[in-house]
Amino acid sequence: MTISRRIFVKAGGLAMVSLGLDPLFLARAAFAARRPIGPSARPILVCLFQRGAVDGLNMIVPHGEPAYYQERPRIAIPAGDVVDLDGHFGLHPSLAPLKELWDNKSLAAIHAIGSPDGTRSHFDAQDYMETGTPGVKSTGDGWMNRYCQHDREHADTPFRAVAFGPQLPRILAGSAPSLAIDDLQAFGLRVPQEAARDRLTRAFEELYDGAGTGLLASSSREGFDAVQMLKRADPTQYRPAAGVEYPPGRLGKTLLQIAQLIKADVGLEIAFADCSGWDTHVNQGSSEGQLSTRLRELGLALAAFNRDLGERMHNVVVLTMSEFGRTIRENGNSGTDHGHATAMLALGGPVNGGRVLGRWPGLGVEQRFEGRDVAVTTDFRDLFGEIVARHLGATDLAMVFPGYTPSPTRFLGAIRG
Amino acid sequence: MPLSLIATLCFLTTQAPGATLTPRDSAFHALNRLAYGARPGEADSIARVGVMKWIEQQLDADHVPDPRIAERERQFKILDYDRGDLATRYRDAQRERQRMQREAAATGDSTQMRTARPMQEFRQLGGELQQLAIVRAAVSERQLREVMVDFWTNHFNVFVGKGADRFLVPSYIEETIRPRALGRFEDLLIATAESPAMLFYLDNAQSVAPGSTPPAQRRPFSLGRRRFGMNEMPEERRQRLQRRPPPTGINENYARELLELHTLGVDGGYTQQDIIQVARIFTGWSIEPPDRGSGFVFRDWAHDHGTKHVFGLTFDDDGKDEGIKLLKFLANEHATMHHVSAKLCARFVADEPPDGCVDAAVAAWQKTHGDIRAVLRAIFTSPDFWSAQAVRSKVKTPFEFVVSAVRATGVEPDDTPRLAQLVARLGEPLYQQPAPTGYAETEAHWVNSGALLARMNAAMMLAKDCSSIPSIDDHAQLVDVIDQKLLAGTMSAHTKSVILEQLTDITDPGQARALAVGLALGGPDFQKQ
Repeated sequence: MTISRRIFVKAGGLAMVSLGLDPLFLARAAFAARRPIGPSARPILVCLFQRGAVDGLNMIVPHGEPAYYQERPRIAIPAGDVVDLDGHFGLHPSLAPLKELWDNKSLAAIHAIGSPDGTRSHFDAQDYMETGTPGVKSTGDGWMNRYCQHDREHADTPFRAVAFGPQLPRILAGSAPSLAIDDLQAFGLRVPQEAARDRLTRAFEELYDGAGTGLLASSSREGFDAVQMLKRADPTQYRPAAGVEYPPGRLGKTLLQIAQLIKADVGLEIAFADCSGWDTHVNQGSSEGQLSTRLRELGLALAAFNRDLGERMHNVVVLTMSEFGRTIRENGNSGTDHGHATAMLALGGPVNGGRVLGRWPGLGVEQRFEGRDVAVTTDFRDLFGEIVARHLGATDLAMVFPGYTPSPTRFLGAIRG
Repeated sequence: MPLSLIATLCFLTTQAPGATLTPRDSAFHALNRLAYGARPGEADSIARVGVMKWIEQQLDADHVPDPRIAERERQFKILDYDRGDLATRYRDAQRERQRMQREAAATGDSTQMRTARPMQEFRQLGGELQQLAIVRAAVSERQLREVMVDFWTNHFNVFVGKGADRFLVPSYIEETIRPRALGRFEDLLIATAESPAMLFYLDNAQSVAPGSTPPAQRRPFSLGRRRFGMNEMPEERRQRLQRRPPPTGINENYARELLELHTLGVDGGYTQQDIIQVARIFTGWSIEPPDRGSGFVFRDWAHDHGTKHVFGLTFDDDGKDEGIKLLKFLANEHATMHHVSAKLCARFVADEPPDGCVDAAVAAWQKTHGDIRAVLRAIFTSPDFWSAQAVRSKVKTPFEFVVSAVRATGVEPDDTPRLAQLVARLGEPLYQQPAPTGYAETEAHWVNSGALLARMNAAMMLAKDCSSIPSIDDHAQLVDVIDQKLLAGTMSAHTKSVILEQLTDITDPGQARALAVGLALGGPDFQKQ
């Protein structure tokens, strides 16, 4: 079946229904229609979800704020250790590898960002951040998937939206095709010898070729296309750019694989990965310690990714997100409990960097949310919306964030105009 | 001919109402929908008995002999523990984890974290819960009941990963869902509303009338009962917990999902005002603390004693009975009957079910006040269920795919988490859907390129353990046996020819069998039901 994607896009689903064909199937069948994908200027978004609620105050430190030191006698980052950014905020010393990106204006921090919903449950807050509908639990799909559903212009490759991990996360769940890849090198049929693997792949390909029409046929075609594309890209042979070393651990490996996919020019538009270990209730540490270890891995991995991609970062935005922040005051276990607003990082060529974005509410008691936490002054949908609109080029934000239309007047200016 | 007459005739003749299907194809269709697929030879044996007679037996699940399942269930320790036992074990695991966290933070060595014994034990119990579902689905003779347990577990979804639900979900499945899977909808609805698992999951446990004060707040922790685990906590943590503000208002989560998902449906014609009234009615429906067994409790102090008007009814300071009255009303509202019937038809008939079967189900619901067996009978006797458009039109969910493959190949589902992990890898980790919607039923949700490749890999893995197919030298004969035993003779000519072609240069019969079975299970025919 050869129906060009453009015809489908132009004719819309209704015309196809009149032919007795299922529009969803056609939309997906259209993805299989190959078109050459060169090292294009296609914008790419890479999202890292810091699950467990990162302590934004120790990640982007408000060292100019006396209340910060009063409330955190044991875990505050001493002013002498902070990597100063603008005289008021500074990076945790473990994020020092990112200072260079701040200086060349490709790294921005967003502070006091979060959800309008006040929940302090990881489960609910992560859910809201992924569905993009805070306070509404019954939303079935994730906002990244909704973006893919409504922007068919880019829908032409099985690698358009890829989550690194064993399962598709909520943020990518929905009717637009997206891949969950645990390990790029093991993607496809798991047979040790290459010849046997190729043979089995061809056998299944033939089986499904005969499945006629419908999603089974079109999706299997996408899958085999993906296997073929990866084979040509040959991920086993990948070497990062000269001198680049990713830190050991899952995050480094994941970012390396994302860099690989980007360089393979297989049409990646959205990559998503989890990075956990931020729920620091006990002995969070200060310049050194638990949180410091996690931040060091994050900083090294992001810096390596940036160097590895080099020139290609001109159309890549990396965004970190976390479900909420942590209490301003340290707790009795030298840790922090579940709070409200947190901080996020955006880096890449399109980022309007070298600035801490968002209105800083201050840490004074009367400025706090419920008297204890950093208040949210930026709805996360305003930042996500800006990136989806100004970086990826989405035109209909109301479809991506139902019940809320991020307005350009509330955009923070995270993406260069 | 009126529908009821068709139904009567069907039962008299024990023939399925689909004139186009052979008795064997009818039996295979029924096994694909009312059961987790056919075991080798099962379609033939049911065709001999008469498929409608078999369906009646399945509807009368209590009288289906099921000798093997009791023996298998005995291997699952989780069935020996009640809610209180699990709460204690969970608390021990939590304490152990906190202790080790403190140690790890002090020493910088986190390698021992994973090996802590209570944690490991509790994780294993969580794995057992999933594996038990697979064993029951694969082994039980009461197949329709297992299908309905899965349907209701999904309809009244609770996420096992949310806090206390880690220890509340097992009793939710055993005591709330399973005994009522083929009972009356109203009873099931009330049981889920009162279940600690649901009360915690959708936050009703902390929904209180604005301005109400718990007795414990007036005299904190001096009522003779200690707060859960309080005495063993470090001083600072205890202070922190005591500072945690008590809930101060109504929480609408349960009320909203009750109307939108459990009963009326999203187009059920209710308003935000209705949701607030419903939430007020359920204030005070809560959970006992874990050291008192985590059971249901109605807290009068937290209940909103004001008058509520909703759906034309008045609820006037009637305590817990207000909620019961509302649930009974909702259970038999037309929108509820239609919403739930359509969902049942999407499961049993087609992703987009025809009106005919939905109307038949609603009529049966009305007539019997929500007797689930009568509703199901109406669906199974509806011509839509047997129509050519319905047969093999649905794609199996990951759970259905794995269990049907296990049944067809004669793989014995062991008590290791292997098969549960396989279902999870295919995208449907059991009891782990965070959204209250439960897992989707439609093809569009389950079929995508990554998922299909994963199914092919799963098929090759399961094929290695296949015991239902003998090793046969003759390839044509081998493929024919596979067609008969795995697909009751419905394998397409194309599939047959591709498999045969793949076997041409393979001389080892064991290798040929593994490849042919793997291709058959991973191919398009076996994805359908």
